[in-house]
Amino acid sequence: MITSYYRPESLSEALERLSQQDPPAVPLGGGTVLSRQRKPDIAVVDLQRLGLDKIEQQGQALSAGATVRLQQLLEYLYEAKDLPERLRGALIKSLELEATRNLRQVATLAGTVVSCGGRSPFITALLALDPKLEWAGGEEVPLGDYLPLREAFAHLKLMVGVRFSINASLQFEMVARTPADQPIVCAAVARWPSGRTRVTLGGYGKAPVLVMDGPEPGGAAVAAREAYRNAGDEWASAEYRREIAGKLVQRMLQESAAGGEVL
Amino acid sequence: MKITLKVNGDVKEWDIHPNDTLLQVLRREGFMGVKFGGCQEGECGACSVLMDGRLVNSCMMLAAQADGHRIETIEAVGQHPEQGWKKTEGLSVLQQAFVESGAIQCGYCTPAMILAGLNLINQTADPTEEQVRDALSPILCRCTGYQKPVQAILRAAAILRGEYVPPVDGGPAVGEGPQAEPGEGAEPAPAEWLGGPGAPEVPSETPAASTQVRPKTHLMPQIWTTPEAATRTTVGRPEQKVDAVKLVQGKPAFTDDFEIRNMLVAKVLRSPVAHARIKHIDVSKARELPGVAAVLTYRDIPRVVHSTAGQSDPIPGPLDTFSLDQKVRFVGDRVALIAAETEETALKAMELIDVEYEELPAVIDSRDAMKPGAPVIHDEPEYVPFGECDPQRNLAAEIRIDIGSVEKGFEEADYIFEYDYEVPKVQQAHIEPHVVITYWDEDDRLVIRSSTQVPFHARRILAPVLGLPVKRIRVIKPRIGGGFGGKQEVMIEDVAAHLTIATGRPVRYEYTREEEFTASRSRHPMRIHLKTGVKKDGTITANEMYTLADTGAYGCHALTVTGNTGHKAMALYVGDGPYRQTPNIRFYADIVYTNTPPSGAFRGYGVPQGFWAVERQMEKIAHELNLDPIEFRLKNALRSGELHPFSTAWSEGREPRPEIIHTVGLQECVRQGMIAAGWEDKYGNEAWHTVPGKPHLRRGIGVAFAMHGTAIPYLDMGGASLKMNDDGSFNLLVGATDLGTGSDTVLAQMAAEVLGIPVEDLIVYSSDTDFTPFDKGAYASSTTYISGAAVTRAAEQAAERIRIRAAKMLSGDDHQVRPEEIVLRDRKATAPDGRFVTMAQIAHDSLHHQDQEQIMGIGSYVSPASPPPFAAQFAEVTVDVETGQVAVDRLVMAVDSGVIVNPLTASGQIEGGMTQALGYAVSEEMVFDEKGRARERDLKDYHIFRANEMPELTTIFIETFEPSHPFGVKALAEIPLDGAAPAIGNAIFDACGAQVDVNPATPERVWRALRARDQ
Repeated sequence: MITSYYRPESLSEALERLSQQDPPAVPLGGGTVLSRQRKPDIAVVDLQRLGLDKIEQQGQALSAGATVRLQQLLEYLYEAKDLPERLRGALIKSLELEATRNLRQVATLAGTVVSCGGRSPFITALLALDPKLEWAGGEEVPLGDYLPLREAFAHLKLMVGVRFSINASLQFEMVARTPADQPIVCAAVARWPSGRTRVTLGGYGKAPVLVMDGPEPGGAAVAAREAYRNAGDEWASAEYRREIAGKLVQRMLQESAAGGEVL
Repeated sequence: MKITLKVNGDVKEWDIHPNDTLLQVLRREGFMGVKFGGCQEGECGACSVLMDGRLVNSCMMLAAQADGHRIETIEAVGQHPEQGWKKTEGLSVLQQAFVESGAIQCGYCTPAMILAGLNLINQTADPTEEQVRDALSPILCRCTGYQKPVQAILRAAAILRGEYVPPVDGGPAVGEGPQAEPGEGAEPAPAEWLGGPGAPEVPSETPAASTQVRPKTHLMPQIWTTPEAATRTTVGRPEQKVDAVKLVQGKPAFTDDFEIRNMLVAKVLRSPVAHARIKHIDVSKARELPGVAAVLTYRDIPRVVHSTAGQSDPIPGPLDTFSLDQKVRFVGDRVALIAAETEETALKAMELIDVEYEELPAVIDSRDAMKPGAPVIHDEPEYVPFGECDPQRNLAAEIRIDIGSVEKGFEEADYIFEYDYEVPKVQQAHIEPHVVITYWDEDDRLVIRSSTQVPFHARRILAPVLGLPVKRIRVIKPRIGGGFGGKQEVMIEDVAAHLTIATGRPVRYEYTREEEFTASRSRHPMRIHLKTGVKKDGTITANEMYTLADTGAYGCHALTVTGNTGHKAMALYVGDGPYRQTPNIRFYADIVYTNTPPSGAFRGYGVPQGFWAVERQMEKIAHELNLDPIEFRLKNALRSGELHPFSTAWSEGREPRPEIIHTVGLQECVRQGMIAAGWEDKYGNEAWHTVPGKPHLRRGIGVAFAMHGTAIPYLDMGGASLKMNDDGSFNLLVGATDLGTGSDTVLAQMAAEVLGIPVEDLIVYSSDTDFTPFDKGAYASSTTYISGAAVTRAAEQAAERIRIRAAKMLSGDDHQVRPEEIVLRDRKATAPDGRFVTMAQIAHDSLHHQDQEQIMGIGSYVSPASPPPFAAQFAEVTVDVETGQVAVDRLVMAVDSGVIVNPLTASGQIEGGMTQALGYAVSEEMVFDEKGRARERDLKDYHIFRANEMPELTTIFIETFEPSHPFGVKALAEIPLDGAAPAIGNAIFDACGAQVDVNPATPERVWRALRARDQ
């Protein structure tokens, strides 16, 4: 359970609090995960006063602070008409599916990255944009490196922001039992003007996965099928997921080819 | 630690623990409008509050996080308009719109919806329906189908913009504007519709105004009325719910909104294994933990075998349950009961209990239950069998019904169709969890304050379990936050009661959402084999169903739920010609024990399972014989004046008695449903089935018929009493339990109709075993019919006394008025010459002035009939033929439920029921692994529909006048569960040829059916 609560006023104070060991201190974003933690005993360091809630366009990238709330990002995207339409639309769709509006009002970007499972629509979409996680102290870790080995980055105490490309086209598709349900399979395709193509899959496992990052889209659907070759669990068979992953990626690439890039 | 918040404008300084959630603190400080849905992932949103103007879940954030912030709860919004000498501004416009629009059913999620609506209107003065649905999307409602809450917010926004909004009830308009045009309110019956006994006819009055402010979401249903209904003044009107004003304010009306000193928190240690004997249990460390008041095991309390099924005596099922036992029979079964000062302490104590299990082989799959050598789940010597059950074979109940001769019928058939179907275990998912508070009162009587559908059955069942006589138990049922059959189970009351007996202190026990999934009750999963004989012309010659039903670890409702599978679903299609008089029907069922959580009562009570099979089968037969699916069904369906085929064969485990069905509005349901669904333009129209530019999408339309029942004849009884007050108002005391359906309101409407008073002059109280008359409780679609007849009798008795007194008061030396000449209307008793005395004058006269008496009435009713409601359900879908994903675009339901007492509450029942059935069709199922562990433990994995993903819903009522009831009513609460899933299954087939025989129709199941089609 939570035995102590701190609300630091500065990054340095936060880092000092986070160095506490007995009980261990952990950063608190929106509280949607930690508020229900019972074991082990922890102290929480609430980041709400650190000013990490800014969203800025920096050239061809969007930089969002660690405590940017999902709803805040969503509302930013609603208004950001200058962003590529497909990218905006895919991010909006994935964010709306990520959590209910109430949870989006408090859940933070960093908290979602740290705690997401494989069925996260937003992280699946975000991962396709090859985002970089920015940590206190200046270290930068690609999300694609972080997700499969989150425990290996335990030494990084405090995420301060996330930066991702906005000069790409992004598509997102999913299959679920109902329109607002968690995905059984979801896929995202990001394409840059250079032809670089990143394909990600979600709906299964501990985290969304990158299945292809290449100079052009050829072979993406095959790669998606291959990536979910053994992706069977209690929610869907591997056979189904493999076929649908390939189908969704193929569909998005065809649609992209038919409609042209919107950058 | 200390925190400072501004709550509803007042600065509050509170001491809290860092682990406290905002929800816990707010409720502790008395803000009871903030509700707890038992969830751990913030799925339900019942706990919503506004923090700095943003709607958030108070259960998903720490109170410490809110320090320094502004919080608004429902308590800040509106008040009762009249508080004695103090006048208030009354309810807010939005609250008033919720009240008027019938947007409140159980009311548990209403405060959250109000806050969501207010927040939206504050930000967007002219919201679209899509925006309203988005605003409501964080809040799960299991009752309404969201239709009326959406409409209420749209109406309130329009009123606040100063626009004209037509009234719901045809009364004075709200706002300025033109007179309403005739529209989608009550509709006249078609001219060609010929009258007959019980048949509707064209009303003489102008149809009511359209009440819609947006085209897609309908507030009032279409109603095709009967002539009898036209003579009523209160019955048939969209009266406001009698409990709406308190619920819309979030008043402390529910079980847990109750404070008492020294209350302990109960928790239950549950089994991690599916089948085991407890070899050793050591609770000493738990008992020593400071703050622990009691830890009870099977060694500490009496071993009393009973059934948890809340049914009339004798319970038609085995007695196979103990409060605590040395054996556990499913993952989640009880091991020990704990009472502690706080929840944290109780949870810590649970961890300190040392249990050694001797694990036994388990039965998880119902098909293994009766195999030779299968482990015996109930080997206890105290087991009391009922009927044909055989615990040695894991058989909880057996049904063998033969009507006519199916062998002869199959011989006479030109074609035989045989298919297998499967339906899953599903959860009621009421938003208020099971919750109970128990305490000793000043007379050393045990008070049980419980969210129960069956307070009187609970008292009777618990008395021997607790070692108390019935007279020393009082069960109080406050408002219920949804039940749907889940609270027709006496399942948690004994936990708190044992702990109160052990400690002498009040005890509160509330299920978590996980317990709702792992240790509650659910719909019986079934495997069904159906064989049908048909002649070339489409005449059904015989119908045979075998059902293997899974009752889980205990046999509660095993016989009766599965009996209804056959009794309703297999009764609808009797065949045509001579088969109408002598249908050939066989219904055999084995209901088996498995080591999974027990099944039980769930709205529909076995009938949705049966109709999934029957209606999928009818569609296949029609398709394979190239028959029109609707004509084929109508040709073989029951008609008025015919014998209910099962009425001579089965009656819930009791003696059957023949029953003629007097009213069948099915044909007109079909006709009106077809028009509303656009059937003629869509069915068989290839162009309509395609989606331009999307070759992977196919559209489809499907139909299913349904019939249900109304109460249990010759068995279930309801009672009511009525007394007159000084001002001419009345207290109406009913044992019936309104679990959000609006039954208190429709009962009041019936009493008001008889007494000639407005509903507002009735103070309805339900239910308390000390004060209200007996009622069997809320189940079997019986309250309006059974309890309504009881209320009518009580009101007629009181009316008779009123007429006698009024006649005396109006008579003089020169003129005598006879009581039977007195007309009661408009709060007056009026003589033929127009002179009258008011109800208040009569009351005053009777209580204070002459020949003093308490004018009152009592009534009870048990029905000799169970008149079935009928329905035609239509569904439209779009199927992605590459992924198998199904989008349900529209549901249309036309229902014959007899006379509709209140169109708003009635249509709310249909909309909410269709929404539950929609989940049953495409997303809801409970799955267990090979060890009996549940896959679904929350409302995230067990997905129920949210406001922003709903299809369009259309409700049509085809009234008939059921002669066995004084107001002509039949049931309506359960029938909407029956048709949606098969109609959707049939629409999927129509779209793409995929035969999905296992529901829900998940994407993978549809995808596999598509592959099977292509092979």
